[in-house]
Amino acid sequence: MPAWEVVRLQTAAVKDLPASSAPSPRAGRESRVAAPEVTYCPAGVAEVEMAELYVKPGNKERGWNDPPQFSYGLQTQTGGPKRTPLTKRVAAPQDGSPRVATSETSGPPPMGPPPPSSKAPRLPPVGSCPASSVEPMDFPVIESEALIEDVLRPLEQALEDCRGHTRKQVCDDISRRLALLQEQWAGGKLSTPVKKRMALLVQELSSHQWDAADDIHRSLMVDHVTEVSQWMVGVKRLIAEKRSLSSEEETNEEKSEGAAEDQTILGFQEAL
Amino acid sequence: MMTTYLEFIQQNEERDGVRFSWNLWPSSRLEATRMVVPLACLLTPLKERLDLPPVQYEPVFCSRPTCKAALNPLCQVDYQAKLWACNFCFQRNQFPPAYAGISEVNQPAELMPQFSTIEYVVQRGPQAPLIFLYVVDTCLEEDDLQALKESLQMSLSLLPPEALVGLITFGRMVQVHELSCEGISKSYVFRGTKDLTAKQIQDMLGLSKPAMPMQQARPAQPQAHPFVSSSFLQPVHKIDMTLTDLLGELQRDPWPVTQGKRPLRSTGVALSIAVGLLEGTFPNTGARIMLFTGGPPTQGPGMVVGDELKVPIRSWHDIEKDNARFMKKATKHYETLAHRTASNGHCIDIYACALDQTGLLEMKCCTNLTGGHMVMGDSFNTSLFKQTFQRIFSKDFNGDFRMAFGATLEVKTSRELKVAGAIGPCVSLNVKGPCVSENELGVGGTSQWKICSLDPTSTLGIYFEVINQHNAPIPQGSRGAIQFVTQYQHSSTQKRIRVTTIARNWADVQSQLQLIEAAFDQEAAAVLMARLGVFRAESEEGPDVLRWLDRQLIRLCQKFGQYTKEDPTSFRLSDAFSLYPQFMFHLRRSPFLQVFNNSPDESSYYRHHFARQDLTQSLIMIQPILYSYSFHGPPEPVLLDSSSILADRILLMDTFFQIVIYLGETISQWQKAGYQNMPQYENFKHLLQAPLDDAQEILQARFPMPRYVHTEHGGSQARFLLSKVNPSQTHNNLYAWGQETGAPILTDDVSLQVFMDHLKKLAVSSAS
Repeated sequence: MPAWEVVRLQTAAVKDLPASSAPSPRAGRESRVAAPEVTYCPAGVAEVEMAELYVKPGNKERGWNDPPQFSYGLQTQTGGPKRTPLTKRVAAPQDGSPRVATSETSGPPPMGPPPPSSKAPRLPPVGSCPASSVEPMDFPVIESEALIEDVLRPLEQALEDCRGHTRKQVCDDISRRLALLQEQWAGGKLSTPVKKRMALLVQELSSHQWDAADDIHRSLMVDHVTEVSQWMVGVKRLIAEKRSLSSEEETNEEKSEGAAEDQTILGFQEAL
Repeated sequence: MMTTYLEFIQQNEERDGVRFSWNLWPSSRLEATRMVVPLACLLTPLKERLDLPPVQYEPVFCSRPTCKAALNPLCQVDYQAKLWACNFCFQRNQFPPAYAGISEVNQPAELMPQFSTIEYVVQRGPQAPLIFLYVVDTCLEEDDLQALKESLQMSLSLLPPEALVGLITFGRMVQVHELSCEGISKSYVFRGTKDLTAKQIQDMLGLSKPAMPMQQARPAQPQAHPFVSSSFLQPVHKIDMTLTDLLGELQRDPWPVTQGKRPLRSTGVALSIAVGLLEGTFPNTGARIMLFTGGPPTQGPGMVVGDELKVPIRSWHDIEKDNARFMKKATKHYETLAHRTASNGHCIDIYACALDQTGLLEMKCCTNLTGGHMVMGDSFNTSLFKQTFQRIFSKDFNGDFRMAFGATLEVKTSRELKVAGAIGPCVSLNVKGPCVSENELGVGGTSQWKICSLDPTSTLGIYFEVINQHNAPIPQGSRGAIQFVTQYQHSSTQKRIRVTTIARNWADVQSQLQLIEAAFDQEAAAVLMARLGVFRAESEEGPDVLRWLDRQLIRLCQKFGQYTKEDPTSFRLSDAFSLYPQFMFHLRRSPFLQVFNNSPDESSYYRHHFARQDLTQSLIMIQPILYSYSFHGPPEPVLLDSSSILADRILLMDTFFQIVIYLGETISQWQKAGYQNMPQYENFKHLLQAPLDDAQEILQARFPMPRYVHTEHGGSQARFLLSKVNPSQTHNNLYAWGQETGAPILTDDVSLQVFMDHLKKLAVSSAS
């Protein structure tokens, strides 16, 4: 079949998308949110719900007018209600003179109270963006403080699983970092959000949700790098090793099922 | 007519990433020059298109060697004979065998009108990994170094696992670190005072050329890896633990710095080694050199200031007085490096965090010629740096990194047009051809440019020349066409080709002037003229550039204004031109053309960003956006004018580099009195919150992170607002107004009113 014909199937699908007629710049954006088959966030649903959404002030001591800092969850958050971007301009009158707009409360002294809520016209629905007013969240799922052994034991188990598959030196390296994690946790050096997110990470790891586990690791590195940078790379590596081990096991199973075919293919490859 | 054109312009931008100054084209050279604003476009080659999945085959090109345009919806097709006629050179081409099955009802995507922009995936060629080479200054304060180390460790979690990563650190010496999984760290140390040739660097680092010599007539092995493997660049997933430790153990430069001295910082040699390392190992594959520096280069090639603190780094004043000792030599050093980097297809980012200047003026070519990022902050321990850095690794809706590498942009035009040049983060590839104009606007004399690094918002200004002679009329109803072919390395390491083909109608200026006017895109025109102005400002004196811009504006008003000669009060501009003079007014005051109050580094920084952002962002830079919040209705855009500064309003100003929230006098007093905390004044609390929420939305999307100013009437930082608004009321004319509205600005600057008055006088005068 000629190459372009194969492609036609895809392009035909494209034609059906509403945005191909592109009536307005917003339309594309909305269709992003609506289309369920597109995965915006590599993480699982649980992770999206659990993401830490907060804004903290910038470092005013080191940078003048330092902007606020957004958490990983907010940075990677896609879709959601976006307001109309503030990009409109007013044309100055052609003689260049400004309209004479007057303040409602002109003349000194300007103070009187602001219009009270009941009387004042209802404010327009600004500030409806979910990102805006979210405070550091507590995680409803894990009510109590995560326990050190609940986090460490599965990690150590995962490491055990990898021994034999992964080079010894790498395993030792991971092991060293897990020890560091244990030491810092036991020494009370880890904050509650870090512990909670580690508990979540371990859950995802145990249920083989590699992408979700990896995404939690990333969120911890972005939001809490000072606390976690020394040992988190070991956890990151562990996720990767465990993932490759498990995909290898799957292929092995498939292989053993279709061993006969495999042999011929193997022979064919050798002949090359 | 107006709405139709606005929609048309918007649709074209959405679909093709293109905004033209003129959407009907003047049909002769003479008439085109009389239109003042050149026929030009802003092109965003990789504009994000969610509804455009790439096709998995390669484009078909015209067989004429001097043309090679891609098959596109404007080509005429003979389905019986399986022939297509190129719409640029009229060559008749046979379809390749794979297209045997085409017919009127069975067309490939590239012939369908809705695919005026189409992206192809090229399956051939070796796939090269992305490369990130960190070049890290260690002459930092402890606090800064710690923050930087953490950001770099964090970045290892954001990089694609297969990406190669390398580390060079520098202070007085330059260290190239070998990365191995064995836990033994080894590094090569270079003196920071002596420049080395690429050959020397490669020999010293033991990077030999690949074993296969260039044997003639021997076909290349299809899978042979053409790159030299090197222990200095290793896959992230293999050495992330080693590198995390290595970064964690980084110390401040151990050489003592005595009182009254600057640390010796070998930035020039460090960059030279980074460029040489990549040149020897991975030429022509996507790679970022990321320079993190906390101060100016103070020794060796590329030094911009000596180590004596009592001698300050050059200012504009020094430069004007020809008193910047190191500037020319340093600039030359970095220009040489930038050109080498660009010809290798790599890019250089500069993250400069310090309170004083760091030499961005001398080093700017490194980022500007290679498409790299330039970020300027006060400290690495700021949210401004940390988040800007994180955003380098942001992903699109398909989970792909928003970065592309090694692009070549080729422009093809129909016969009545030629391409005069480009302005943006690119270098010329010096490809002559039939569609290259002799007159240059920006970087010209070529039909191809290289863009070593770009993202979905990177935007180039492309300038054209109509060459059709006045006495050679173009047939009525015929159209001119332009094709942009962008070949690049996608962040997934795939090679891709994006083809955009556009056409516009020709119009006779004599009989169709009104139509041409209506098809004017004043926003695009303002940005395109501003790019030309800023491009000139890099090599010409500031006042000359302003005079040139003024002259163009006056000519434009003469041509398109409606007026009675010698009667300024009769002057009118149609809607399509109504904003243009005010864009020019604000551009004249902008930091892109005015260096007063800015350091040379700041000017370089502002101009860097101006020359690459898309239309919307560029326009914000020219004329900041001002929104007003009050109890009287929803937030509304207001004039960027001192009359908009009212006591009972909150203003939100976006200048691209700064987001300013300003509380009017009454609002500020209410806030100080604590009304927002009283339940019966909850509305006031909401009013205070609304601009914060809107600001946050801007902050979340902007690259680089802007500064964030929250101030009020009488606050010292209110100057950021006051310096941007049109000073319609100043201390000079305040009392003439008779009533107290708005805020007078203490300035002798010309206001928009005065500017417009002069403009009208000059436009209607028969003398000029």
